[in-house]
Amino acid sequence: MATYYTSQLRDEQITRSIDWVTVSIYALLVLFGWLNIHASVYDPEVHKGLLDFSTSSGKQFIWICTSVVLLSVILIIDHRFYDSTAWGIYGAVFLLLFSVLLFGKEVKGSKSWFEIGGLAIQPAEFAKMGVALALSKFISSPNIKMDKLKNQLIGGAIILLPAVMVLLQNDTGSFLVFSSFLIVFYREGMSPFIIIVGVACAVILVLTLIFPQYQLMIAFGILGICSIYFVKRKTVSNVLVVLGVTAATIVYIGTVDYFFNNVLQQHQQTRLKVLVNPDVDPLGAGWQVTQAKIAIGSGGFLGKGYLQGTQTKFDFVPDQSTDNIFCTVGEEHGWLGSFVLITLFMSLFLRLIYLAERQKVKFARIFGYCVASVMFFHFTINIGMTIGLFPVIGIPLPFFSYGGSSLWAFTIMLFIFLNFDASRRYILG
Amino acid sequence: MGIKFTILLRVRLAFMFVLAFSLAIIWKVAHLQLVEGAHWKEVAEEILLDYKDVKATRGNIYSDNGSLLATSLPFYQLAFDPTAPKDKYFREGIDSLSMLMSRFFGDRSPEEYKRKLTDARKKRKRYLILSEKNLTYGQKKIISSWPIFRLGQFRGGVVFDKIDKRHRPFGYMAFRTVGFINDQNQGAGLEYSYNAQLGGKKGEALFQRIAGGNWRPLYDENYVKPEDGYDIQTTLDVNLQDVAEDALYRHLLRHNADYGTVVLMEVKTGEIKAMANLSQNSQGGYEERYNYAVGEQGLTEPGSTIKLASLLALFEDSDLDLKDTVFGDWGRHAFYDRIMVDSKPEGYGTLTVKEAFAYSSNIGIAKLVVDHFGNKPQKYIDYLQKFGLGKKVGFQMAGEAQPYIKNTYDSSWSGISLPWICHGYEMKLAPIHTLCLYNAVANDGKMIKPIIVKEVRKADKILEKYKTDEIVEKICSEKTLAKAREMLEEVVVSGTAKNIAGTHYKIAGKTGTAQRLVKGRYTKTYYTSFAGYFPADKPKYSCIVVIDNPKGYNQYGADVAAPVFKEIADKVYATDKEMHKLLEEKKFFDKEGIFPMVKAGFLEDLRYLCNHFGISNHANEKEDWVAAVPRNNAIVWQNRVVRKELVPDCKGFTLKDAMYVLGNNGLRVEYSGSGRVVQQSLIPGQKIVKGWTIHLKLG
Repeated sequence: MATYYTSQLRDEQITRSIDWVTVSIYALLVLFGWLNIHASVYDPEVHKGLLDFSTSSGKQFIWICTSVVLLSVILIIDHRFYDSTAWGIYGAVFLLLFSVLLFGKEVKGSKSWFEIGGLAIQPAEFAKMGVALALSKFISSPNIKMDKLKNQLIGGAIILLPAVMVLLQNDTGSFLVFSSFLIVFYREGMSPFIIIVGVACAVILVLTLIFPQYQLMIAFGILGICSIYFVKRKTVSNVLVVLGVTAATIVYIGTVDYFFNNVLQQHQQTRLKVLVNPDVDPLGAGWQVTQAKIAIGSGGFLGKGYLQGTQTKFDFVPDQSTDNIFCTVGEEHGWLGSFVLITLFMSLFLRLIYLAERQKVKFARIFGYCVASVMFFHFTINIGMTIGLFPVIGIPLPFFSYGGSSLWAFTIMLFIFLNFDASRRYILG
Repeated sequence: MGIKFTILLRVRLAFMFVLAFSLAIIWKVAHLQLVEGAHWKEVAEEILLDYKDVKATRGNIYSDNGSLLATSLPFYQLAFDPTAPKDKYFREGIDSLSMLMSRFFGDRSPEEYKRKLTDARKKRKRYLILSEKNLTYGQKKIISSWPIFRLGQFRGGVVFDKIDKRHRPFGYMAFRTVGFINDQNQGAGLEYSYNAQLGGKKGEALFQRIAGGNWRPLYDENYVKPEDGYDIQTTLDVNLQDVAEDALYRHLLRHNADYGTVVLMEVKTGEIKAMANLSQNSQGGYEERYNYAVGEQGLTEPGSTIKLASLLALFEDSDLDLKDTVFGDWGRHAFYDRIMVDSKPEGYGTLTVKEAFAYSSNIGIAKLVVDHFGNKPQKYIDYLQKFGLGKKVGFQMAGEAQPYIKNTYDSSWSGISLPWICHGYEMKLAPIHTLCLYNAVANDGKMIKPIIVKEVRKADKILEKYKTDEIVEKICSEKTLAKAREMLEEVVVSGTAKNIAGTHYKIAGKTGTAQRLVKGRYTKTYYTSFAGYFPADKPKYSCIVVIDNPKGYNQYGADVAAPVFKEIADKVYATDKEMHKLLEEKKFFDKEGIFPMVKAGFLEDLRYLCNHFGISNHANEKEDWVAAVPRNNAIVWQNRVVRKELVPDCKGFTLKDAMYVLGNNGLRVEYSGSGRVVQQSLIPGQKIVKGWTIHLKLG
């Protein structure tokens, strides 16, 4: 009797206190995504409906329905469950990643899929959720501050362990996603230095593709020496630090070639080169970039209209329903549609940060940041890739791209967080 | 306070970061779509259009009498521009059109078709592919008669895109000779060798990309029409080709041989009438896979057929006579350190030159050649060259092998080269080269180039005509020729090939059985051949038959290759009236004035005969069937009543007439003896029961 009463009370709480703004954005994204998947696989010669289960849109409908069931279950479960089983979930996800390496199915060179009766599940998508939970658990423990190197290393290990498994599956895109957790570290006190260095390294890598190495070395040398002028207190140690950084940059530029040619695989090298100049590989990686640009660019302000796109339909753009789904939006709905979509995503991220900040429990806050960071990373890289801002990295657009694993994983993450948020006033901070 | 500030700063930074990135993306998209938009739109249109080749229709390959050996059959893909027909026509025709389409293709219901076409028209689609499978010309004709479609391409919107497919009406006949060619221009045979003529010139048209990765042609003003390929007329005779292939196939099968080849050539013109090549596949069957008659792989040591050349050289260079003798030894003879053997183990002893050739005595021929040319071997080699054996004949098909004749100054020349070359070793010829030599002997010494393509034509216009080219005007003197032909005939009369001696016409030729060189060693396996011409006294065709590596008891050219030659020659002879000697006119009546015996039969026939021979005859009544009754010096026709249901009286009828009459009345006929009917088993006038058998006794 008592149990019944509690759970009924809980249902009322949830419907009343859940953040309906986020839920609405979620619903809109999923719905638009589904309609766009239909558009990207729609063949005007063969009239197949939105709900034809032989097409991607039909299958996505099943994934959406199951997601709704999934999110209801997640909301009904008490939020403390996620807190207390965080390590357990992390372990389970790790095991999944390990077994997919042994028993998984290889698709396009990545051995990262489980196939169970026609359903394909990609454990890497769920790994992010596991890491988010474990990381939140770890950082929220008493007396853990992320400005300590030791804690940063432990946190790093929590991220890297599953990340390396993902890399072993040859899924470089998903591997890079794990770097987004550094944003969480930063929020929790880590010095921005590491992130700045990381971004700087990436920028310089791209610069070496544009300018000759020696020119860059000279430029950065002059820049370094000139910047001494701007150092306010010209103590010996300060000047030495500036000179040290300059020297390190020059050495980095010198070795970047080695990294580029020996560490990166051939297709990764091409993808980077194509970023600078799509004509390097016009029929390979450059093809995808150019075709995506043609599709989006030909959309204009208002787009060609729903189901009227030509570039995305006639198989010009590869992976049109998954990684390149944004092309369909750009082509059929033009700048206005793109603007709406980006605004929706932006609102989601800002809302998530806002929600995270209003949490009284540290675990919930950190988890909120994890969710926001991962989704933001996916969003930036995916859209950046299709419009030529980033190299081609095959990761899906959250809630939007075709694919069950990705939809499920993002839904689970988002709604675990919303569960915490909904319960926040019953939790003592 | 400090911590709170830092955290606030970091949170604000996070906000800023998200905002900045989102704005950057919006800006970039705006740049792509609004600033560069026009450019990308243009590119998008451009990649939807592309110039593509339009294939020309390939020319036909004909046999000598105009039968098609290879042709391009058109197939069609049906497409429809649903916006083309006017409203009125569309409305009137759509129901019956949908019904017809549904009935014809059977994959959708009439309602589905109607919806599909109407939808496409509403959406202003310009190109709808309606048939996945290719339609034949007949089907195209049917479809063209359907409502809406019958208005044609412009008013009705129907589009038939043509696709050519190569077809060989005779299937695998002369497969390798006719040849093939693929899209990468690799191939063999005539299709390959005459690709420049057959292929035509491809055209070019602007194509538009449509859904499903297909392209549709836009026949606009830039359309360059393809020029169709020319036809080629070959010299191949489909009947003779069939005979050659069939005979070769059966003998290959019987001997389980590796491969076989037959070339049949017209003596005067050099026209190749049949060229068959069959080789054993992994399943033990035979198929045309390589042209051994002409190509590199057919190049081999020819063996005894080349003894003809040796004797031609001897006759030219000396006054050797066919009746001169040579001691053929007792089966074995040493030339330096190598022993030469004859196929008859105990040897031939003393032989005439004619016999040495007819029995194909290696020792006999080698001794003759060595005796005469031993001190001037280059002279012998020069003769072989003079007979045209060292050079390619310049055959019309690509890939002719280069024959090889050793010279005395070659490093491989040795003391035993001469005796071995003169019976067909230490040299390499393809069957076509050997055939040319035999053809020259048949053609009064004139060596001509074999031809297989007579004409290149564009429809009825002859563009190029290939005439008979001569290689050597006269390979030897008339005297030599006469001797050679006598020898070649003797081979079939009393020599190694007496098993194929003809009854109605004479064959002249020479057997060959060469030991095969396998991995550098001579083995107990053989390359058998028979080269010759027929009829021997008035040569019309020359022919070579090669069967490589026969297995089993019979492995000699006489037993393996010669019977194939004979079979082909017999069939050719049977169907070629020109070759037949005129029958001597026999006097029909031995003695004048004796009244011929006329019995019974068909009135028209009998009356015709009687009138022809001046015998007066009279008919009383008109019946088809009559019996003759002599009266004085004339004949009176007496009716033989033939009624459907009654057994007729056939006495005195020829068997032909009797069978006609009886068969017509539903009786089965058995007979014995020959001549005219003298007795019949059923009584005339009896009622017939269907299925009865009547026995006739002829005499």
